[in-house]
Amino acid sequence: MMRRAFLLFTCLLFTTAQGLRAEDIQSEAPSSVVRVNVTNQPWDFVHPWGKRPPYSRRAIGTILAGNRVLVTAELVANANYVEFETAEGGQKVPASVEVVDYEANLALLKTDDLDFLKPFKPLELTPAKIGDVLSVWQLENNGALLVTKGPMTTAEVARYPADDSPLLVYRMTTPLQFRDSSFTLPVVKDGKLAGLVMRYDNTTNNAEVLPAPVIEHFLTDAKKAPYEGFARLGITSSPTRDPQFRRFLGLTADTPGGVYISDVLSDGPAAKGGVEPGDVLLQVDDRPVDQDGNYKDDEYGKIAITHLLSTRRYDGDVVKLTVYRKGEKKQLDVTLKHRPVESYVIEPYVYDHAPKFYVLGGLILQELSRQYLKEFGADWQKKAPEQFVYFDRQQNEVFKNGPKKVVFLNRVLPSDLTIGYEELNQLIVTKINGVSIQSLADVPGALEKASNGLHKVEFDGEPRFIFLDATAVAAAQESFRQKYRLPALQRLD
Amino acid sequence: MRIFPALMTHRFWPIALALGLLVSPLFGQPNEIRKSVARITNTMEDANYRLPWLPGAMATGSGTGWVVSPDRIITNAHVVSNARFLTIEKEDDPKKYIATVEHIAHDCDLAVLKVQDPAFFKNTKPLALGGIPELESSVAVFGYPIGGERLSVTQGVVSRVDFRTYTHSVLDSHLTIQIDAAINPGNSGGPVLQDGKVVGIAFQGFSGDVAQNVGYMIPTPVIAHFLKDIEDGHYDRYMDLSISITNTLNPAMRKGLGLADDDRGVMVSSVQSAGVCAGKLEIGDVLLAIDGHPIASDGMLELDGERVLMSEVAERKFLGDEVKLEILRDKQVMDVTVKFDHAWPFLMQANSYDVQPAYVLFGGLLFQPLSRNLLGAYQFQSDRVNYFYDNFVTKEIYKEHPEIVVLSAILPDPLNTYLGEFREGIVDEINDHKIRTLKDAANAFAEKPEFYVIKFIGHPRPLVLERIAVEAARERIRRRYNVLAEQNLSTAEFTSASR
Repeated sequence: MMRRAFLLFTCLLFTTAQGLRAEDIQSEAPSSVVRVNVTNQPWDFVHPWGKRPPYSRRAIGTILAGNRVLVTAELVANANYVEFETAEGGQKVPASVEVVDYEANLALLKTDDLDFLKPFKPLELTPAKIGDVLSVWQLENNGALLVTKGPMTTAEVARYPADDSPLLVYRMTTPLQFRDSSFTLPVVKDGKLAGLVMRYDNTTNNAEVLPAPVIEHFLTDAKKAPYEGFARLGITSSPTRDPQFRRFLGLTADTPGGVYISDVLSDGPAAKGGVEPGDVLLQVDDRPVDQDGNYKDDEYGKIAITHLLSTRRYDGDVVKLTVYRKGEKKQLDVTLKHRPVESYVIEPYVYDHAPKFYVLGGLILQELSRQYLKEFGADWQKKAPEQFVYFDRQQNEVFKNGPKKVVFLNRVLPSDLTIGYEELNQLIVTKINGVSIQSLADVPGALEKASNGLHKVEFDGEPRFIFLDATAVAAAQESFRQKYRLPALQRLD
Repeated sequence: MRIFPALMTHRFWPIALALGLLVSPLFGQPNEIRKSVARITNTMEDANYRLPWLPGAMATGSGTGWVVSPDRIITNAHVVSNARFLTIEKEDDPKKYIATVEHIAHDCDLAVLKVQDPAFFKNTKPLALGGIPELESSVAVFGYPIGGERLSVTQGVVSRVDFRTYTHSVLDSHLTIQIDAAINPGNSGGPVLQDGKVVGIAFQGFSGDVAQNVGYMIPTPVIAHFLKDIEDGHYDRYMDLSISITNTLNPAMRKGLGLADDDRGVMVSSVQSAGVCAGKLEIGDVLLAIDGHPIASDGMLELDGERVLMSEVAERKFLGDEVKLEILRDKQVMDVTVKFDHAWPFLMQANSYDVQPAYVLFGGLLFQPLSRNLLGAYQFQSDRVNYFYDNFVTKEIYKEHPEIVVLSAILPDPLNTYLGEFREGIVDEINDHKIRTLKDAANAFAEKPEFYVIKFIGHPRPLVLERIAVEAARERIRRRYNVLAEQNLSTAEFTSASR
């Protein structure tokens, strides 16, 4: 207790002292950053034919070798227009996104005006260690650099904005001040880039930093086309700390570590390499895995094996897993692969392309995505339809046998064709005219199978099915489109 | 039809149980009526779902009752729920009479009481039941609101007659009459009179900013149904078809179902396998008539000159009665007879009263069947628990899990210190025994394997307890947490103030 209090105290002193020294650097011209101005316009997943009003954000881009500028992916999600602006002088030039990875939350920007970035000095990357004093760069309105320092406190594997993909983050404590263009702030150590600020909590002064090793990995991947992304093993694990559980598994004292593999994603890298649920993962290559699923990293010490598998290794690498299965140790070669976002039944994010939809006589059919659920607001997990939230969270369990995508009836645009159906909404569509609907692309084909002049649409829920007049639906499409002023009645790609 | 509500979100509250010594002014009313209206005081004890081996919180509340037959008092079920001791007082009699619950119907919020001393009924006269009052006609509400010791009478006007949720159970809906008189706590159970006859029992109000001076009463068809049901000495509960229906307003829908353009019939869109229509009706059947009453395409029919929901026909039935359905199946008209041979068996989504919570405590792990009461006692975060609760009936989860056995709490001990991740889990198997009910869990724990292996739904890693470790911890946990009993599997209703 005493020791902890003392440490905290020294850290505080330290930050204050370093904060004062920041003024020395302010005179230095911001020679390695530009302002990045972005106009974003997300698609409207509730009215999937349209977009939401555009909004603009200003951020700081870090200049890297090869005339490229690094920002977080969040900044450029659904970007309509991107431009660079010099911090001093305010010259502007159009820019574009070269590579973006929403799971690693990183994007590389470029401009065709090659002279624009010439006067600047690209930053190199450097990893940071716990205890290092890092500088966070911001820009004043006049273009001068504002530097705030703080110690790095933690390196751990934690959640990224795209929920399903934890990766390494640094945490640091620093009293950041509010400035207009505070998005994607560079974090610098010894004149090199150690990371980008991803989140900041102004009540605790804690900053979460997207760290250099993740950036390094992203830049290496970005050299290859097509861009592959961060690989995942495709397992769920659970600690084996409980001595009763260890005895149950038959783990003896000479096997001190090992994490229990409770679930294996079907068709994932681990499954393809022969890993089974119930295996105990003892070792990855030459690194022993402890009871909580950590290994000893050369740089960060004890940290989750996700860091080793996703950041230190690359898509296509083969890792040797040592697993304990029913009293025996087995070695399995697993080829790491990135899981493409399209392979999720309910996609965790949909950026930069429009949501698919199909308006069938006023029935708005869509594919369920977390992006749609997030339209219910910040507390969407409480506000969105309970069944959809449950399916999203448990999708690996619920959809083991399909479908490929969940097609649902968002709502009904009332017309004489849909009398009696006005209140139907948030219903999962299972079949149309007897044809199983695995994705929205199955809808047009199924509609050709009308029988007796009627389309039969079946739901998982109530009502179990409804009928639509096939001829009347086809005949009314155009007048319907005009009545509700829809730019299109379908988008299937 | 049963209405299956999701979690309660509406703003009704049952009127109950306020204490206070406000003296209400006495209106000049016919003496017989006043003499037959009494104040009931209930000393109640809640069930304790967090520490189910202990009694719950105690409270005292009051409501109103009235003489319905020469030796019986009728009141609301919520006035006498969870009772440990009941007294009843008349306005002009200093004596406190001791009462007991004779029959209680939580599904329609009614109860009848016996009074031990026959002297109570001296000078009282049973009040007669009337019919459904006309809209806009005025009525008088008798009762002891806000705990007063003198009878209060309020005038109101009948403003609406419709089906409404009875908040006492929250799962049931019956005919309800809305009046514009303020009904306050303590009024509950009191008679609402018109022309000297009872036309309803005041039972719930409306709280919120949008409406004021709105009260609800239980109309006489519901009261009469209850009184008739208990004639054989046993309350069998309301009957229902346990199906859901969809309107057939859409012309394409009508054509697809083979219906003529005559605005008749509703489509069956689910048939509960635990209900009375299982095996008799199928999804896609069209109900054309019930007991000879033609059913309109919106599910309404005409009964005694009123347009009512078709479920009203089932509402009037009793255990053992039959109902005749005219249906259209595969475009063929057929007659189907359904016998009400049992009441709906799965009530875990309803508020429950007068029962001791069922539980099994094993190795410091507390297992309890999921219920509305349990959800109220624990703020479960698990989306799975909430999904299973809300979809228990609609997805027929009861077929595989008639009781959803939840690991609701852990009494910390070295034995279970690593088991926090399993809290709020739903038990699926114990040592390869499928766990359908809490009793199955108790039986599995009574066995003597080397390891108890508990599998939870959607949680692939099993919970493992070593038998010797459990046995070594047993006394320690009992002593440390003062556990009086390690399990209760009996869910029989009881109140010490009843029967």
